[in-house]
Amino acid sequence: MHFAMPPRKTSRPPPYAVRNARSSFNPQYLIPRDRLRRVVLAILGFLAAVWTLRWMFGGGGEIGYESAVAGSGAPVVIVTVFDEKADKGWVGRVKRNREEYARRHGYATFFNTTSNYNIKTSPLSWSKVPALRHAMTLHPTSTWFWYLDSTALIANPSVPITSHILSPAKLEKHMIVNEPVVPPDSVIKTFANLKGERIDVVVTQDREGLSVESFAVRRGEWAKYFLDAWFDPIYRNYNFQKAEGHALEHIVQWHGTILAKLALVPQSLINSYAKGADPSQQGHYKSGDLVASFPGCDKGGKRSCDEEMKPYFEEIEKRKGAE
Amino acid sequence: MSSRSPSPRSGGWSSPGLNAPYDTGGRSSPYANGGAHNVSWASAQARSAEVKGHTAFNPRNNGFFRKHFRRISTSLPFSYAEKEKLGRGRPQGNRFTEYLTHIGRILWRMRLRVGLSLLLILSIVLFYVTPLHRAFRRSSLWGGGNKFVIILAANQGGGVMEWKGPREWAIERDSVKNKKKYAQKWGYDLDIVDMSTKKRYAHEWRESWEKVDTIRNAMRKYPHAEWFWWLDTNTFIMEPSYSLQSHIFKKLNQVTYRDINEYNPLNITHPVIAEYLDPETRSPIGDGKPNSINLIVPQDCGGFNLGSFFIRRSAWTDRLLDIWWDPVGYEQKHMEWEHKEQDALEYMYTNQPWIRPHVAFIQQRKVNSFPPGACGEKGDDPRIHYQEKDRDFLVNMAGCEWGRDCWAEMYSYRQLSNRLNRNPWEKFKDWIGDSMKKRKQEKEKAKKQEKEKEGNH
Repeated sequence: MHFAMPPRKTSRPPPYAVRNARSSFNPQYLIPRDRLRRVVLAILGFLAAVWTLRWMFGGGGEIGYESAVAGSGAPVVIVTVFDEKADKGWVGRVKRNREEYARRHGYATFFNTTSNYNIKTSPLSWSKVPALRHAMTLHPTSTWFWYLDSTALIANPSVPITSHILSPAKLEKHMIVNEPVVPPDSVIKTFANLKGERIDVVVTQDREGLSVESFAVRRGEWAKYFLDAWFDPIYRNYNFQKAEGHALEHIVQWHGTILAKLALVPQSLINSYAKGADPSQQGHYKSGDLVASFPGCDKGGKRSCDEEMKPYFEEIEKRKGAE
Repeated sequence: MSSRSPSPRSGGWSSPGLNAPYDTGGRSSPYANGGAHNVSWASAQARSAEVKGHTAFNPRNNGFFRKHFRRISTSLPFSYAEKEKLGRGRPQGNRFTEYLTHIGRILWRMRLRVGLSLLLILSIVLFYVTPLHRAFRRSSLWGGGNKFVIILAANQGGGVMEWKGPREWAIERDSVKNKKKYAQKWGYDLDIVDMSTKKRYAHEWRESWEKVDTIRNAMRKYPHAEWFWWLDTNTFIMEPSYSLQSHIFKKLNQVTYRDINEYNPLNITHPVIAEYLDPETRSPIGDGKPNSINLIVPQDCGGFNLGSFFIRRSAWTDRLLDIWWDPVGYEQKHMEWEHKEQDALEYMYTNQPWIRPHVAFIQQRKVNSFPPGACGEKGDDPRIHYQEKDRDFLVNMAGCEWGRDCWAEMYSYRQLSNRLNRNPWEKFKDWIGDSMKKRKQEKEKAKKQEKEKEGNH
């Protein structure tokens, strides 16, 4: 049997025929599958690259003159400023005292005279502040800058200040916390929870207040702030009774960003008084202390630094001979 | 006749191109013929289904609509059947509909592409209509708006010293609204602070010294923000379409200058002459890198201007804010420092070298344009005064409370800003309105002239 014409198509579509795939969304019809995959990969790759670049170059910290070299030089620079009119022999002896100590422990020294800093009409003792800044400029690779007044001697050169006092652990151990900044009853007290590595200035206190004969400052941005704020002309012209000493007490008590970086250590560690002012309880010089200080011996009158220091120089020499 | 029958009579499966109009008389449908040719419709269908391999009987038209479709459709005021008869498959109607159907056909053919692009447009519209774009601009990953906080001083000098009148309230309302809108637009934070004069210590008024405390509070309040933009009450953001990022912070090195000698109304010696200082402090531009900038200050004709300035969260800023107010400085200088914290900052910049490497100055007109009346009556100093054609970012009506009309200035600048920032549709409407007005005026003028002429005759 044959048909002249092909069988008639049903006029009704089968109820469950496959639906036309084109009517539903399928990106394959836009772009072939492998090309689609390539495009998606390229977009993802581009985004990843952008993010990595942002991450790498987006968050840069403060990069300045500082970062390259800090900490690679001498750990401590001993800073002393001499009065121009002082006796040359005595100045030489004091300088030698520091140089020997520095040589022994690998430290550096920085000496200058008061006249090199333009203090104008203010007391010359202010020159210690720019001197510290000066030392930091000249020794950009050092960490600690120890100001030791010309009226003080290193009496026991065998004690290295870095490991005995300035290391974070030692600072935390020695730090006097919750102590009135100005004795006996200042309402501003030293902070109780300071970390040793966060300390940027180490000072001592005698019976009258903060002592500025011997203190150490850590180099850094904070040090610039501290020294510049301290050296502000308003304070220099203010007639503080003890000049920079009172100015220091003032800024420490009024400005939290300074107090938060300050460690108060027992006077005997870096500033034992041998003669002169009234020390704190443990502040009297005893044999073996790192520093013997003669505050005010350079102020003239009946006192003479050279004579007061003589027995100490001799003892130091004797000990050196013994070693 | 069964109504369940699949006859075309009630279902109406028209086949286009089939010439036989099944509606009219003449030939009848196979079913209606009964068994005229001994072929019932059902049997033919069954056979056909056998060939196709599908089950035969499949009544589909048992709903009300299907049952009565014909009656309904014929009762309508127009008849498709008629049309079809007349049209004979040729396009119907006039040229316009022809064109429309052509377009429709093209669109249908390109439905995928068209759909995709419509989707794209829709998502763009949605992005800007919903708060999504704000979230985008705010996120630290994309827009970075959450890095900025605007600190707006409200109630300046108010409180104890004087009561606010309606004008002061209006000024404040406008100013706050302006900043709110701006901050919201770009995803910044806005901190409105009450600057009414307070006694901090029992013995002294520290009006406007609270700036320092206020900035510190804001830094505590928004711990993730980096830059804080201080704004006085009497300021108005003229161009809300400028983001801080694109206007300033993405090109910090181009828009700011570190060396104050570029514009130095105070004649400050720069860099500091002191040999003992380190090279960075003595450099006229600090380290020259944009990320060492912690304070951005504009300078007006008299020196620093703290009506609109930027300060960045950093250890340096912490120190600056701490040392800014000092009792000894205050005691010594408060009579001399008329602008208080502004003078104090100038003093510190001059005398404390540690500050300089981290301060940058910005062109006054970038963030703090003055209206005429401040720094010169004429208002024509290209460094200082607002220029409409340059679309300056912000106007600071500095000193308007001393003998000028703050509210009038605020109002006029608000109107100007609105006018400058109209959208195209508003511009179009205004253009029509303006041209109508003009024509009216011209007509009136012409009339007047005619009347005058008549009068002269």
